[in-house]
Amino acid sequence: MKKSSISIFKVLMLAGGITCFSSCSDFLERQPDTIMTDDQIFGDEVMVRSVLANYYGRVSWGQHISDDYTYTILDEAGKSDGGPDNIQGYSNELWRVYDYTLIRNINQFLKGLRETTAIAEDEKQTYEGEARFLRAWTYFNMARGMGGMPIVGDEVFEYESGMDITVLQYPRSTEAGIYDYIIGECDAISTLLSDKKNTHSARANKWVALMLKARAAIYAGSLANYNNKMPSPIKTPGGEVGIPADRAQGYYEQALAAAQDVINNSPYQLQLNKPDDLQRNFYEALSIKDNNTEVIWAHDRIYPGTGQQTSFTTRNIPGSHAEDIDRAYAGPILNLVEDFEYTDNRNGAIHIRDNQGNYIFYDDPLDAFANKDARLGGTVILPNALFKGTPVPLQAGQKIWNNGSWQTVVGQSDERDAAGRLITSANGPVRNNDPYVNKTGFFFRKFLDEASGASTRGRNSEMWFPRFRFAEAVLIAAEAAMELGQQPVAVGYINQIRERAGIQPLTSVTLDDIIQERRVEFAFENHRYWDLKRFRRAHIVWNGVVNSPTAQQYALFPYLVVAPGTANDGKYVFDRQVFSNSLHPRFFELRNYYNFIDLGWQNANPKIVLNPFQ
Amino acid sequence: MIITMRKYVNMLLLPAIVAVSSCGLDNYDEPESKLLGRVVYNGEPVGVRGTGEAVQLQLYQDGYELHSPIPVYVGQDGTFEAKLFDGEYKLVTRDNNGPWVNDRDTTVINVKGTANVDIEVTPFYTLSNVQLALNGSSVNASFQINEVAGGRDIDYVLILAGKTSFVDDVSYTERLEIKGLTPGSTITEVLDLANNADFKAGKPVFARIALRSVGKDQAIYSQVVRLR
Repeated sequence: MKKSSISIFKVLMLAGGITCFSSCSDFLERQPDTIMTDDQIFGDEVMVRSVLANYYGRVSWGQHISDDYTYTILDEAGKSDGGPDNIQGYSNELWRVYDYTLIRNINQFLKGLRETTAIAEDEKQTYEGEARFLRAWTYFNMARGMGGMPIVGDEVFEYESGMDITVLQYPRSTEAGIYDYIIGECDAISTLLSDKKNTHSARANKWVALMLKARAAIYAGSLANYNNKMPSPIKTPGGEVGIPADRAQGYYEQALAAAQDVINNSPYQLQLNKPDDLQRNFYEALSIKDNNTEVIWAHDRIYPGTGQQTSFTTRNIPGSHAEDIDRAYAGPILNLVEDFEYTDNRNGAIHIRDNQGNYIFYDDPLDAFANKDARLGGTVILPNALFKGTPVPLQAGQKIWNNGSWQTVVGQSDERDAAGRLITSANGPVRNNDPYVNKTGFFFRKFLDEASGASTRGRNSEMWFPRFRFAEAVLIAAEAAMELGQQPVAVGYINQIRERAGIQPLTSVTLDDIIQERRVEFAFENHRYWDLKRFRRAHIVWNGVVNSPTAQQYALFPYLVVAPGTANDGKYVFDRQVFSNSLHPRFFELRNYYNFIDLGWQNANPKIVLNPFQ
Repeated sequence: MIITMRKYVNMLLLPAIVAVSSCGLDNYDEPESKLLGRVVYNGEPVGVRGTGEAVQLQLYQDGYELHSPIPVYVGQDGTFEAKLFDGEYKLVTRDNNGPWVNDRDTTVINVKGTANVDIEVTPFYTLSNVQLALNGSSVNASFQINEVAGGRDIDYVLILAGKTSFVDDVSYTERLEIKGLTPGSTITEVLDLANNADFKAGKPVFARIALRSVGKDQAIYSQVVRLR
C-alpha cells in the first residue's frame, strides 16, 4: 500500500510538471472554431442564415417519417420488424415538448439580429419573422401537449451566482393565454414575411404563419367547446388547463378568417394535376416536391449531406422492391384502410363475406378495393397494387377446398405448391415473429420515395415531411364554419376535399364527418392524436376494450383459392383478423389528455403548477 | 520497460483507490421503517384497479429543498405499503384519481418503525352484497349498487373474469358491460365464458365487479374472488 502511494505521488508530480511546461507555449491560445461570438455571427448574413437553419432542424416533434414507430402506437399502422409491441396505455410524457433551450436560443438570435447593422432592413425583417414563427411553433407544440406554459417573450435570461432567481421563475400562462399569444404572434409575423413561395416550402412565409394561426385557433376553439361538454371538464383552478366555453366562438371565427385568407389569397391550391388518376394525384400532392402546389410548409430533405435524409423508405419498402437489406419495419393496419369510404358508400368496410357468411371471391386481390376513396391508393400500398410500375404481392397462404370446408395452408417465404402456385409471398403477410416480413396486409404508400436508391442505407431518401398544406386550410374552414352554424359554407369546403378524393359529396357536415375526413386525408401527417385529443374523443376511440373495433388493431390477409375444377379456383379471398403483433387494445385514459409536468421543472420553478390527474 | 509497466499499474490503481475511498461517506442505510395503509370507506377497504400504477397516493415531507412527492401505489384490494425513513410525512390522494370524490386533504403521519393509516374517502357509489359464482360455463353475479356521494350518473358496470388474481378493466379475459343500471335493488347478471379460450383450456377463473361513474378516471371494484 505504501509503495503504491509513493508512485501515485510521482505520477502526480510528473503530470503537474508537464502541464507547467506546455503552458509556456501559445499552443492553447487559439480562437475556438466551434464557438462564435455575437459579432462573428451577426456581422455576416451567411452565418445568420446558418444559425436560422439550425433552428429549422430542431422543430420536429410528434409523429414524423423519420420516427416511423410513432405511426404504430395509435391506430394507423402496426410494426412487423420482429416481436410484438406491448403498448397498452400511453405514457404521461408521450410527445411532450419542453424546449426552453430553443426558445432562449431564438431570443438570443432576435437580440443579436435587431442590434446588427450588417444586414439590410428588409432581410432583417424576414429573419425576425422566421425566428419568431419558429418560436410560436415551439410554443404551439408545448401547448397541445401540456396546456398553458410560461411565456417568456423576448427575454434572454442570464444567471449570475447570488442573484435572486425568483425573477427568472415565470408561472404558467393559462391555456387560453398561450393560444392567444401564438395567434397574436402569427398576426404580427404574417406582416413581416414574404407572400411568395420558396424552394420546396422549406421556409416560413406569410401563409405558413397564417396556417399556424388557423390551426392554433381551431385547436383552442375545439378545446373550449368539447372540453366543457365532458361530464367532468378537465381543468386546473388557475386555467393552465381548460379554456372557458364562451371563448369558443371567437376562436372559431379567427380560425375561419385565417383559413379563408389562405384559401382565397395564397399561391397554393388543392393540387389537381392528374384528374384522370386521382390516386396518383393524391400521392404526388403529398410526396413529390417538384412543382408542388399543395404543401405550404415542410421539413425538406436533400442528398447528399450528412444527416439530411430520412430512412423511412429504406425501412418500410416492400421486400419485393427493396434495394438493400432493410424492409417492412411496419405497415398500415386494416382499421385505417376501412376508414376510407367507397365512392358511393360511407361505410368503408372491405367486402370479404356475403350475407350468408361465405367468402366473396376476387379475380385479383386489388379488386376488393375497387371504388374506394382515391386517397386510399395514394396512402397505402394495397395487395397487388403497383409500386414503381410493378405489382407488390401480398399473399398470406392458400385456402384449399377440402371436402366441404376451407383449409388454410401457410408456407415458407415464397414457397410454392406441387402445381407451382405461390403459397405465401416473401412480402407476407404472416402471423409469426419473423422480422421484416409484413404482418398487417398493407404497406405505406404516402411518403414512400420512388427515386432510385432511396431505399438504400448509403443514400436513403430525400422525402420531405409536410407540416402545413392547403387541404388543412380547407378542412379548418369547414370545421370552423360547421361549429359557427354556417352549414352551406362548411359543406362547400368539405366537398372540395371529397371531390378530389372521388367520393360522393355531403349535404350536411357534422363533427363526425370532420373527424372522418381528417383521419383519411391526413393519415401519417401527425394529426390523428392531436385531433382526437382536442375533440375529447381519444378515450372513447381508444377505450382499451379487447376486440373493440377502434381500439384493437386489425389486419387483412389475402389467400389464393385452390379448388381445382370449380369456378373459384385461382381467385382470392380475405380473412380479417386481430393484428397478431399488437397484443393489446389501445387504452387512452383521462390523464393522457395532458402530459404530466415534470416534477424537476416544478422543483426548479415552484410557480409551475401541476396538471390534472397528476 | 518494467519501470513503465509498474507506473501503468500504479496509474490504474489510482482510480480504484479513489473509487474505494469514496464509499461510505454519502451513503445512507436503506429505509427500514414501514408505512402500511388502506383506502377505506366506512371501515371497508375500497377495491380499485391494481395494475398499471392506476391509483396512487402521494407522500410529501416538509423541510427539504425539493418538494416532489413520493408515489405510493394502491393495490387492487385497497391497501398500500411504503418503505420509509422515520419522520413526519403528509399523505394525500392524487388529483382527480380514484373512484371517489376528489379531496386533497392532508393526512399527517408519523413514521417510527411501523405506522398504520387508513385514508378515508367518499366513493360516488359502492357495491354491496356481491355474490359471484361459477355455474357451468358462466359466472353468475348478483350485487347491489349504493349511491354514496351522488351527483354523478353511473357510466357502466362491468362483470370481469380473469385467469390470474389480478382482474380489472385492463387485465381480464372476458367482460360484460352493463349500462343503464340504477342504485337500490339487487341486480343479477350472467357473464358467459363458453367461448372463452382460457376458460376452455381449464385455466383458473377469478372474477370481480366494477362500477364507473361518469367522468371519473377509475372504477370502484368489489374484491377479487377465485371461482375455479
